[in-house]
Amino acid sequence: MTNQTENLPLEENKYTFAAASDSVKEGEMIDIFLGKETVVLARVDGSVYAVDGICSHAYSEMVDGELEDHCLYCPLHFACFDIRDGSVLEGPAVTPLSVYDVMEQDGSIWIKALDIYGE
Amino acid sequence: MTNSAETIMIIGAGIAGIHAAEALRNEEYEGRIVLIDRDTELPYDRPPLSKEFMLGESTETDIALHTQENLEELQIDLKLGVEIVLIDSEKQSAVLSDGETINWDKLLLTTGSSLRRLPIQGSDLEGVHYLKTLSDAKAIRGNLDDIQQIAIVGAGFIGAELASSFKKLGKEVTLLERAPLPLAHILGDEMGEYFLQMHQAEGVEAIMEDTVVQFNGETQVEEVLTEKGKTIPCQAVIVGVGVIPNTALLDKELQIDRGYIVNEFGETSLPNVYAAGDCAMWPFLGNNIHIEHWDHAINHGKCVAKNMLGGEQTSYSTVPYFWSDQYDYRLQYFGHTKNWETTVLRGNVEDKEFSYFYLNKSNVIEAALLVNQPKNALAVRRLINQQKPVVPELLPNTDIKLKECMYVEVD
Ligand SMILES: Cc1cc2nc3c(=O)[nH]c(=O)nc-3n(C[C@H](O)[C@H](O)[C@H](O)COP(=O)(O)OP(=O)(O)OC[C@H]3O[C@@H](n4cnc5c(N)ncnc54)[C@H](O)[C@@H]3O)c2cc1C
Ligand code: FES
Repeated sequence: MTNQTENLPLEENKYTFAAASDSVKEGEMIDIFLGKETVVLARVDGSVYAVDGICSHAYSEMVDGELEDHCLYCPLHFACFDIRDGSVLEGPAVTPLSVYDVMEQDGSIWIKALDIYGE
Repeated sequence: MTNSAETIMIIGAGIAGIHAAEALRNEEYEGRIVLIDRDTELPYDRPPLSKEFMLGESTETDIALHTQENLEELQIDLKLGVEIVLIDSEKQSAVLSDGETINWDKLLLTTGSSLRRLPIQGSDLEGVHYLKTLSDAKAIRGNLDDIQQIAIVGAGFIGAELASSFKKLGKEVTLLERAPLPLAHILGDEMGEYFLQMHQAEGVEAIMEDTVVQFNGETQVEEVLTEKGKTIPCQAVIVGVGVIPNTALLDKELQIDRGYIVNEFGETSLPNVYAAGDCAMWPFLGNNIHIEHWDHAINHGKCVAKNMLGGEQTSYSTVPYFWSDQYDYRLQYFGHTKNWETTVLRGNVEDKEFSYFYLNKSNVIEAALLVNQPKNALAVRRLINQQKPVVPELLPNTDIKLKECMYVEVD
C-alpha cells in the first residue's frame, strides 16, 4: 500500500487531504484509505481523479488493475471504468464507481466525496 | 439493421444465455428474443453460490443478474420453468412444455452443464447435496445450524471453495478426493501438493486417494463410508465430482463430443444453430477444448450472439480464464494446457503471493496460475495471448517486468 493518510479532521469545505501531488505520477495510480473507504487516485493528462478503490462488481482492489489512458481495468473480471466519472465502459460491472471531487493545491491532493454519482 | 420479424431462440438462461441476449440488444437487433430455461428463478450469478452467498455475505438480490423490469426493457421474452418437448431443425421450430410452438430463425444452445451424480447407496438421504443452482444453495444454507460436521466429496474448485466457506462458518470439514492430490490434473503435482497443504493448514481433514462408496443414515445422512474402510460422521454431504455438458437437445443431429462441437464463430454442424458456454466444444489454438468457467461463458455467449446477426463474423479466441477464492487465497488461472514441458515460479510460495507458469517446448507460456497476485493478471493474459516464446530464466526475476521476459531475436 503506497500511501497512508492520517486521520486529519475534515476541513471546513469538506475536502480531505488525500496525498502529496508527487506521489501520483502521470499515467499511474495509488490507493489511499480514508476511514473505511479505499480510494484510487490516478493522474491522466496532468489531472488527478479519485474513484472508489473497490470494484463495483464483485470484490477486487482496483489499484491492482491497469490504467490505460482514462480506462481503468479491474484485475478480476476485467470490467472497465472511466476514471474521470466512474462510468462503466465495459462489463461485467453495471454500477459505476463512485467518484470524488479532486482539488490539487500547493503540492497536495484533496478530495471530497460526491453525494450523488456524477454530480 | 436486422429484420424485426425475425426470432432468435436461446435455450438456457444461465451465464452464457443471458449475456448473449443482452449482446443481441446491444448490437441493436430488433427482432424477437425468446430465452428459455427449465429453472424457475430469474437469471442469477453462480460463482457466489459457493462463496459469498454460502457465507451469508450476499443475498439473492445481490446475485440476481437482472430484474423483471430490466428484462422487459430489453424486450427479452424470458420463459422460466419450461422444458423443450421437441425441436424440428428443418422447420426451425420448437414445441415447449407449456404448449407454445416457437418458429425460430436462429437457435442458440446455452444449456450449460450438469453436475455428475454419484449413483451409490444412500444418495437420496436428506442432507446429501449437490451445488449448482440457487435452490441447491438455499437448501444447504437452510440447515446450517444443525450441521457441525460436513463431508465434501471431490476437491475440485467447488469442493475446495465449499471447504473454505464451511471452515469460515466454524464447521468441521472433511474433504475426500479420489486422486492423490487436489487439482493436480489441471495445475500439476507441485501445485496439487501446495493446495493439499493449504487445506490442511486451514484445519480441514483432507483424505486423498479414497472415495465414497455409501452414505448411511435413517432418513438423514449420518456418515460417509469410504472405499478404504473409513467412516466419516457428518450431518451433511456435498458432492462436487465434476460436470457433464448438457447435450440432450438435438443430440441425434448435432456433432457432439464433450459438448456441442462448434467452429470459431460458434456455429454447430446444423445451419442456423449455434452453441456457447459450458455446453460447447470450441477450437482454441488448433485444438477443440471445453471450458466450464464463468468468464468464458460470458465472452463466448456475447461473441457467438453477435455472429448470429450475420454481419462481420468474429472468431472467438479469448484466452480461457477462471478465478477461485479459497480461504485467503485468490487463484486466477489463464490459458489452457494439458502437456506442458516445464513450469517456472515467479515470487515466493511462502508469502502466498506468486505466479506459476506452464511452458511448452518452444518456451511459449500456455497457461499461468496466479496466487494472490491480481497485479499480474492483465499482463499475464496479454503474454499468453501473444503466443510468443519467453526467456524462462528471466521469469523468476521479479525485478524484470513480465513483458520484458519475451524472447527477442537478435540478427
Ligand atoms: C457453485 C458454483 C461456483 C462457481 N464458481 C466459479 C468461479 O469462481 N469461477 C469461474 O470461472 N466459474 C465458476 N463456476 C462456473 C460457472 O458458473 C459456469 O461455467 C457458468 O455458469 C457456465 O455458464 P453457462 O451459461 O454455459 O451454463 P449454466 O450457467 O449452467 O446455464 C445453463 C442453463 O441452461 C438451462 N438448461 C439446460 N438444459 C435445458 C433444457 N433442456 N431446457 C431448458 N433449460 C435448460 C439450465 O437450467 C441452466 O440455467 C461456478 C459454478 C458453480 C455451480
Ligand atoms: S470484481 Fe471487478 S469486474 Fe468483477
